[in-house]
Amino acid sequence: MAAALCFFAGDVALAADPQLCAACHGPEGNSVIPANPSLAAQPEQSISIQLFQFREGNRKDPQMTPMASNLSNKEMNELAAYFSKQKAVAPSHKTSAESAATGPKLAQQFNCVQCHGPALRGQQHIPRLAGQQYEYLLAQLRKFKAQKRADLDGNMTSAAQGLSDKDIEILVDYAAGLSPQ
Amino acid sequence: MNFRKALAAAFLAIFTTAALAQAPAAPPSWQQGRSSEQASSPLHPFAPHMTGRASKDLPVDKLKVPAGFKVEVWADGIPEARSLALGDKGTVFVSNRLAKNVYAVVDKGGTREVKTLLKGLNAPNGIVFSKGTLYVAERHRITRYDGIENNLDNSGEGKVVIDGLDPQNQPGHFWKFLALGPDGKLYYNVGAPGNIVMPAYFQAAISRVDPKTGVAEEFVQGVRNSVGFDWHPQTKQLWFTEHGRDWLGDESPSDELNVAKKQGEHFGYPYCHQGDTLDPDFGKGRDCKAYTPPVLKLGAHVAPLGMRFYTGKMFPAEYRNNIFIARHGSWNRSTKQGYDIYRVVLNENGKVMKSEPFLTGFLTDEKADPPMWGRPVDVLQMKDGSLLFSDDYNGILYRVSYSK
Repeated sequence: MAAALCFFAGDVALAADPQLCAACHGPEGNSVIPANPSLAAQPEQSISIQLFQFREGNRKDPQMTPMASNLSNKEMNELAAYFSKQKAVAPSHKTSAESAATGPKLAQQFNCVQCHGPALRGQQHIPRLAGQQYEYLLAQLRKFKAQKRADLDGNMTSAAQGLSDKDIEILVDYAAGLSPQ
Repeated sequence: MNFRKALAAAFLAIFTTAALAQAPAAPPSWQQGRSSEQASSPLHPFAPHMTGRASKDLPVDKLKVPAGFKVEVWADGIPEARSLALGDKGTVFVSNRLAKNVYAVVDKGGTREVKTLLKGLNAPNGIVFSKGTLYVAERHRITRYDGIENNLDNSGEGKVVIDGLDPQNQPGHFWKFLALGPDGKLYYNVGAPGNIVMPAYFQAAISRVDPKTGVAEEFVQGVRNSVGFDWHPQTKQLWFTEHGRDWLGDESPSDELNVAKKQGEHFGYPYCHQGDTLDPDFGKGRDCKAYTPPVLKLGAHVAPLGMRFYTGKMFPAEYRNNIFIARHGSWNRSTKQGYDIYRVVLNENGKVMKSEPFLTGFLTDEKADPPMWGRPVDVLQMKDGSLLFSDDYNGILYRVSYSK
C-alpha cells in the first residue's frame, strides 16, 4: 500500500490544531495525496468516530494511530466540527464512462445508498464517498472485503462481502468522481 | 508472555475469520428480512456519538416530566453510556456496548468523577453489582471483580464465571444484559443472530448461571432479544423487555413486556410475534396459542431496553412497584416514536393497569433523520429513591427526583 509520508511538529499539546491535520489531509481537509482521505464536508459524527477508532486501537495506521492517541473526546469533537464545516473542492478524479453507467446500479444493488445516501454524500456517522480520493476508497473497500478494516457495528464488513474485485473498482471509480457537495 | 492466552487468541482469530468467510454474500444484519419492496427504504439504525457530547450543548431543558418531578444532568463525559449498576458505597457503574470500557462514577458531593474502570473488554454491555462484586457480561463470557469498590483505581483481572457464550461469533444481537435473580443466579440473554432467522438452540433465550459453580442452563426461550429484566418485588417473577422483529411495517409487530412464570416457557420467536401475529415465513404451520403472549405491548419498534421496578420512597406512593422502562428507539418506522422513559402501573397482583410515557423530550421531529437528540438505555434506582438513566447517544447520565 502506498502510504504517503507526512511530517509533524510532534508537539502533542497541539494535537487538536487542525493545521497539523492539513499536512496529510490537505488545505481545509481537501486531500491532495491519493492515499489520504479528504475530511472537508464529511459528516461531523463520521470524523469523530474514526478518530475514536484510531485512539482505541480498533483501526490502526502508522501515522494516524500516534496522531489520535493523545486526543481527548473534546478535541476529537472540535476537529470533527471544524472539518465538517469546510468546503469540499471538486475532485480531480474523472469517472470512466463504463463506471458512470454501471456505478449507480451497483450502489443500489449492494446497499451503498442505504447508508451513504442517494448521492453518496454520507450522513451522521456514515462518511461521504462522493469526491473522496480514489486510491483511499479502493484501499478501504478492499480491506472491508478482506475483513481487515475496523468497523463500528459490522455493517460495512457485511456489505462488502458480496462485492467482486471488479465491482469494487467500478464503485470506487464512480464514487470518487461524484460531486462532494 | 502468556502463551496459552496467545494461542487461544490465535485460534479465536482463525475461527472468527473462517466463520465469516463461510457466510454467503449477505446484507448487513439489520437489513436481513426486508421485502423486495423495502429494498430502497431510507430507514437505518443510528450510531452513538462515540466521543460523547457535552450536556451544555444539548437541549436538556426540553426534557419533560410530570408535575413535582425534576430532571437534571447527573454526569456527562461517559462515552456510549449503556447499562447501570449501583455499588454498596454509592459507586455508579456504567457499561459500553460497541466500545470496550466499564466506567465508575463517584459522587463527590455535587461533582462526579468519572473513572475508566475496565478497558479492552469485548462488548461489555451487561453489569450487575452484588455483595462487593461487580459482574460483567461480555460478548463471550461473564467475569467477576471482587471487592471492586475498594479497587476503583486498580481493578485487576476479572475471574471467569463462565466462558464460551458466543461459540459462533454470531452476527446480530451479540451483546448481553446481566441481572442477579432472587435465586442468586446470574441471568443473561443470548439474542437471535439476525433480524428474523432460525436461532441455534442456545440463542434467542434467557439463560442463568450459578456464579458459585459456573454451571449454566437455559431459563426461557423464543426471546428475540431482551436487553432489560428485573424481578417483581413481591411475586419474584422475572419480567423482561423484548424487541420485536423489523421490516413488517410501521405498526407491526409491537415490542413486548413479558413475564416468565416458569422455566422452559417459549415466548414465540421466530414463529409468533406480540403473542398474536404469525411470522409470514417462520409462522407457517404454527399456532400462536403455543407460546406465552406478552403482558403488555410496548409499541412497534420502540426498542425497550433497561427496566426496573421502583421500590423507593422519594416518588409518590402510586409509583411504588411501578416499572420504568427506557425506550431507545425507534428506527425501523417512517414516523418515529419512543425515545422516552415509559411507566407501567401494576395492581397488587402484578397485573398491568396502565402505561404511559413518563419522561419525554428527546424526540424532537418524528420525521427527521435523526429524529432525536438522545436515547435512553437503562434505568437505576438510587438509595435516596431518585432515578438515574443513561443515554448512550451522548454519553450522559440524568437524574429524576421528586419533591412536593
